Amino acid sequence: MTQAREQLRVRDAGVAYRAARTTAIVGAVFSGVFVVLLIANLIGSAIIGPARELTLDAMKLQVQKDPGNEALLAEIRQLDLRIRRNRLWRWEFGRKASYMLLASAVVMLVSAKLASLFVKGPSWPQPASDVSETQIKEARHARWAVVGGLAVLAACAGLLWTRGSVDFGQVRDQGPPYASMQEKREQWHRFRGPGGAGVSVYTNMPTRWGGKTGEGIVWKTAIPLPGRNSPVVWNDRVFLSGADPNEQRVYCFDAGDGKLLWRGEVPTAPVAAEAELDLMEDTGYAACTMATDGRRVYAIFPTGDVAGFDFKGRRLWYKSLGLPDNVYGYAASLDTYKDRVLIQYDQGDGSEGKSRVYALDGLSGRVVWETKRQLPNAWTSPVVVEVEGQYQFVTLADPYAVAYDPEDGSEIWRAECAGGDVAPSPICAGGFVFAIEPYAQLVAIKPTGQGDVTETHIAWRMEEGAPDICSPVSDGTYIYLMESEGYLMCCNVADGKMVYEHDLRESFRASPSIVGDKLYLLEMNGTMHIAEVGPEYNEIAQCELGEECYASPAFVNGRIYIRGAEHLYCIGQNP
Amino acid sequence: MTRLACLTTLAMVLLVPSLEAMGELRFPPPDFESGYEFPETTVPPPQDSVQEYVDAAVFLGALLLASHLILRKRSRRAIFGLVVLSLLYFGFWRKGCICAIGAIQNVTLTVFDSDYAIPIAAAIFFILPLVFTLFFGRTFCGAVCPLGAIQDIVLVRPVKVPRWLESALRLIAYTYLGAAVLFAATGSAFVICRYDPFIGFFRLSGNWNILVFGASLLLIGLFVGRPYCRFICPYGVILRQCSRLSKWRVTITPNECIQCRLCEDACPFGAIREPTADWPADEYRIAKKRLALALVLLPILVAAGGWAGQALRGPLARVHRTVRTAERVRLEEMGEVEGTNDFSDAFRATGRAASELYGEALVIRRRFAIGGALLGAFVGFVVAGKLITLCVRRGRNDYEADRASCLACGRCYAYCPKEHERLKQRTEAGRTR
Repeated sequence: MTQAREQLRVRDAGVAYRAARTTAIVGAVFSGVFVVLLIANLIGSAIIGPARELTLDAMKLQVQKDPGNEALLAEIRQLDLRIRRNRLWRWEFGRKASYMLLASAVVMLVSAKLASLFVKGPSWPQPASDVSETQIKEARHARWAVVGGLAVLAACAGLLWTRGSVDFGQVRDQGPPYASMQEKREQWHRFRGPGGAGVSVYTNMPTRWGGKTGEGIVWKTAIPLPGRNSPVVWNDRVFLSGADPNEQRVYCFDAGDGKLLWRGEVPTAPVAAEAELDLMEDTGYAACTMATDGRRVYAIFPTGDVAGFDFKGRRLWYKSLGLPDNVYGYAASLDTYKDRVLIQYDQGDGSEGKSRVYALDGLSGRVVWETKRQLPNAWTSPVVVEVEGQYQFVTLADPYAVAYDPEDGSEIWRAECAGGDVAPSPICAGGFVFAIEPYAQLVAIKPTGQGDVTETHIAWRMEEGAPDICSPVSDGTYIYLMESEGYLMCCNVADGKMVYEHDLRESFRASPSIVGDKLYLLEMNGTMHIAEVGPEYNEIAQCELGEECYASPAFVNGRIYIRGAEHLYCIGQNP
Repeated sequence: MTRLACLTTLAMVLLVPSLEAMGELRFPPPDFESGYEFPETTVPPPQDSVQEYVDAAVFLGALLLASHLILRKRSRRAIFGLVVLSLLYFGFWRKGCICAIGAIQNVTLTVFDSDYAIPIAAAIFFILPLVFTLFFGRTFCGAVCPLGAIQDIVLVRPVKVPRWLESALRLIAYTYLGAAVLFAATGSAFVICRYDPFIGFFRLSGNWNILVFGASLLLIGLFVGRPYCRFICPYGVILRQCSRLSKWRVTITPNECIQCRLCEDACPFGAIREPTADWPADEYRIAKKRLALALVLLPILVAAGGWAGQALRGPLARVHRTVRTAERVRLEEMGEVEGTNDFSDAFRATGRAASELYGEALVIRRRFAIGGALLGAFVGFVVAGKLITLCVRRGRNDYEADRASCLACGRCYAYCPKEHERLKQRTEAGRTR
């Protein structure tokens, strides 16, 4: 009876073993199938998906060149939709297949374990060894293993220690990662210096030099690539940019000896590279003056390529704002506010809504804010001005002067005051923002309003003529206007009445500047006219540089930095 | 058959996470030109508190049942059933959160941060296993912990890990526990949760590196019983000490050991200890000197560990987000790194001065100097303690489960002839009744 029962038990165990084994095999086969499907899905995601996305990127680039191509746009939308659908489908497929693989693996695992239990025989003890000796040996090995473990931990700690830590000690008092407005006032951080006003806080500027004789020329350094932008100065560094149809460069010179410290490259976006820009000669490929926030320096080019560099010449970021639609070539210079780069990016005829003002993060190039505006292309440079303790970002384009809050890009006020191809930049002096309509009028706006202030905050208009290219300059009492053909006008800031007119009969491209009680007027042929600031034109000196000049000079702490057609000059007391 | 299981499980553990990692892929939002505005990001509402109490109740029930099955019923089959249920409920259904292991950090943060209020469920999940272990041994590890359960289930062909290697590997768990407490106490990170190797499997999604880590552990777990529980689990370290003090615990034999040696290889976790023999007299003399040396080493290792720990305050403090952000911002300012990252961008968006951030980072570093010293001293103490333990002979007359190492899985019961005798008697008694 017992024997028969035992035979029955053995037979049942055999059946159970075979059943478990077969189930395990089926589970394994299913697992294998799902493994293959998942691998195929993985390959599809890794190869096919990215290839389609590359095609989509290429099509997007193409449509930037041909924005009116509706067929291409429709194709892009279709492909984009297909890519997204496919991605979602693959994700869903992967999820389901993972569940199935998990389930079949569980079935296989459980069956395999059961099968192994059915065939598992009893575990018989091994021959006895010398317990005492074995335990002593084990303890000895364990002690050494613990010591080894300690050594590994020590090695890991050593490895960790080599990673060190960043020292904050020296920078705790350095303040924010950008220069204060006070620091900026003591430098020449943008086009026409602090506030873009062309006024230096220093008074110790030279009044005698000669390019041919070398008198007063501290140094003279060749600039590798041409450009019409002006030098920007921060402490011991002078920055400017240069470009030709093939390359766009940023240069940093040592303010002490004029040595070229570094040059940085700004790439040209493919769209701009293929566009074959046909720029007006007066604009050129590097018309926009750089700007610095005291920690980094920024450059923009007529191609819409903008980049940020640190003072060591390392490019921190690069960004393309897209090829600007600009008749004569984009020429607006940059400004900075805190650690942001402010850009006036006007283009088209204003009806297409292409124009923008941007604030980019100086460290990353990320767009902090962006405000659209329905204004056409202009060649003015925006300025950041202080009004009643608050800062305003003032821009000028046909027909409005518009002020924005530099914190968030919201519009504060606008005044209708300009027309035509506007090139002279606005300035702030004597409590007014001055805007110019070329050949027509100078408008004084009280910048304290909100909304459209055309009817309420325009203090006066001077309609006896206005410059076409050069920006005005003011000492707070008088405002000086220089036409490109050498006709200088001086008006009262308070009421706009003409004080005097003087014809220098020469061509000017650089904007006038005021240093202390002197007016500096740089002719296109390189002659600097130095006159007294006051109610009549009283010329003190004329200094020849001997090289054509289109850019506005920089005046910092006893030195004048002038960009000639081919050289950068530093004028001061000879060492 | 075992080979087949191993191969397929290997494929599974490598592929499931790899495919699910695809779930991490996100594509960029479309470039809408129609003025479409993206909806604001919303935060999911907090978990229903009722669920917490349900979890706590299920947890308590599971611990009671586990203790009964392990100590009274002594049924491996029933224990395995509970293991599966625990895995399904606490693992796959509750997605591995909350768990007792991670609750260490909640408790630590509660102690060190007065602003932090520990969730009731976290407190219960932390305390209950400790209480049960003090009374019944590691029944939590044996049948309730989902992390232990998933490893227990995949164990197909256990190989014996040499005891000396186990001694060394266990240092990882102590160090991990110390580091987890340090990071939680300083409010830096819940590293146990962040590096939970199996949560990705429970959620069928997760960080790629962690999924690979979990897959590797499961792969090792095919041959080495519960590698995470034995060599990594920080909560296991605490439970080991509680289990040493437990009133009742797993015994291989239901009554007396007959020294048959049948159970010698029964435990896949190497927790069965054989009877000890007397040491030779000369070995005793050497052992005494060795013990004296180990005792001298104790303060030295504690001091050295403390010194090393405080020296590592810089790299350790980097785990804290504020320090990491401050270092990044500083490096960006010095031009030693290119571009920015999300942390530095987010900081700058606040408009705060970098000097403030640096000040905060320095305060945190100072905390890490103290915490790092304590961590180092703790590791030094553990190493010295282990060396001392290994210099001492412990007398044992029977085969028994090690109080600290036994994971209460109940596998050894079936190996004991006295257990078979007990079952037979119980069956016959049942028939008689």
